[in-house]
Amino acid sequence: MLFEYAIVGGILLGIFYALLSVGLNVVFGAQKIINLAHGDVIMLGGYAAWELYQTYKISPIISTIIVVPITVVIGYLLNRLIAPRLGKSSDPEMLSLILFFGLSQVIEALSTLVFGNAERSLPINSIPTSPFKLFGESYPADWWVSALVAIPLLAIFLLFLYRSSVGLQVRAVISDSVEAAVAGINARRISGLYFGVGFALAACAGVWGVFIFGGVSPTEGPAITVTAFAIIVFGSLGNPIGTLVAGIIFGIFYQLAQVYVPSWSNLVPYALVIATMLTRPQGLFGRRQRVA
Amino acid sequence: MLEIKQMNSGYGPMQVLWNLDLMVNPNEVQIVLGANGAGKSTLLKVIVGLLPLWSGSLLMDGDDIAHLPVTARVKRGVGYMSEKGIFPELTVEENLRLGGLSKKRGEIQDQIDSVYQRFPELKERRGSVAGGLSGGQRKLVGVGRSLISQPKVLLMDEPSSGLSPRYVSEVIDRLAELRGHMTLVIAEQNISFLKIADTVSVIEGGRTRFEGSVTDFTNDDNLKTAFFGIE
Repeated sequence: MLFEYAIVGGILLGIFYALLSVGLNVVFGAQKIINLAHGDVIMLGGYAAWELYQTYKISPIISTIIVVPITVVIGYLLNRLIAPRLGKSSDPEMLSLILFFGLSQVIEALSTLVFGNAERSLPINSIPTSPFKLFGESYPADWWVSALVAIPLLAIFLLFLYRSSVGLQVRAVISDSVEAAVAGINARRISGLYFGVGFALAACAGVWGVFIFGGVSPTEGPAITVTAFAIIVFGSLGNPIGTLVAGIIFGIFYQLAQVYVPSWSNLVPYALVIATMLTRPQGLFGRRQRVA
Repeated sequence: MLEIKQMNSGYGPMQVLWNLDLMVNPNEVQIVLGANGAGKSTLLKVIVGLLPLWSGSLLMDGDDIAHLPVTARVKRGVGYMSEKGIFPELTVEENLRLGGLSKKRGEIQDQIDSVYQRFPELKERRGSVAGGLSGGQRKLVGVGRSLISQPKVLLMDEPSSGLSPRYVSEVIDRLAELRGHMTLVIAEQNISFLKIADTVSVIEGGRTRFEGSVTDFTNDDNLKTAFFGIE
């Protein structure tokens, strides 16, 4: 039964990890940069959920909705601030790494000042508490509730990306921003919006990270960024669907490791990146293009 | 339609175009000929706004468009098809749909259907990723998208680039169908495109060396020999 437990639990957690990572891939798609502050945005989402519950007794499910418009606007404005500077730089990738590393440090320092060093957690009764039972095993409420919240969020995101006119413009900009501009698309505005969507997805994951990680603390950001980075590389950089599938596979591998070789489970993200680089550098869903 | 006078421009500090002149009339097909590095692509990029105009004038229908950003020029009717011409990760239909962003949904579909009528092979591949098409089909996707956007003038950057001779002939035949219905400026080094041209400009070293009719060009043996090695 341990195997079934690991698989079902892995899928539930994998859906959360998909949500945790997809925002990083979205930001990469929007600006071709790795947001080293991704984990810190997730951490801020966690603090937002904690604050909203402690102060106003707002359920984390509602908090997930509340953080969306706020973080879309923050991400959009941040993009409009940095994109022109990156565009003028002779080495935008390096500049973006430095910039987002700095941003990560600033968020961490400010969070420590505001919330203190201690880990903050939310009571489990702030969400539905009945465990989920399957194959004779029961799974913690936070696993299945976070999966139930993540599924419609990810579905809405995919509908936006693949079924709306704005989503089509987003994919055009991701494909080639210059070609998009000459097709009449305001690439800057679209990039900014998508960047904001990436931030919103990260913040939503942060709300549920408080439960899955057992709390939220100012120093958790970098480790989360590494995990998310491993998942998006595994699924293919720039491909959100790849990230969703990769997140679930990661969840299953992580749970299998937790069940059978728990002391090795923290190596899963790194093993995943190395294995991907060695066997399929373009990632699970990376396409090879016809050249002529 | 399009009037360029004394155009100077380039990349960063490097000047590529030197006092270049160009005149394009409505519904005319103009071929801009020149060797690699002559400045053909630079010229088209300045017209569409991807590169700044350093000095000189750029008029469309008598209006100065040099100060407008790319998207505003596109709205004014400047169409541009780069050498790549497509979004390789998007499907054929999605590529075509991007040509009609400012149009209503029903109107776009009608336009897409008319492109499928013109290029039936694209209809068969409508759900395929454009990057997986043959070189010739990719060019047709680019042309189809431009047709849907209905520009007043379509700038095409080396449509023969990367194509085998068979596909070049196919693209020329398809462009010939547009002759008289659309204003085209085609930057090329392949003189096969002359057969669909009304006028020719020859650029060398970023300067206009010849501007005139195809007949004048073909009768000028010195020019043909000097620039294209054609006896």
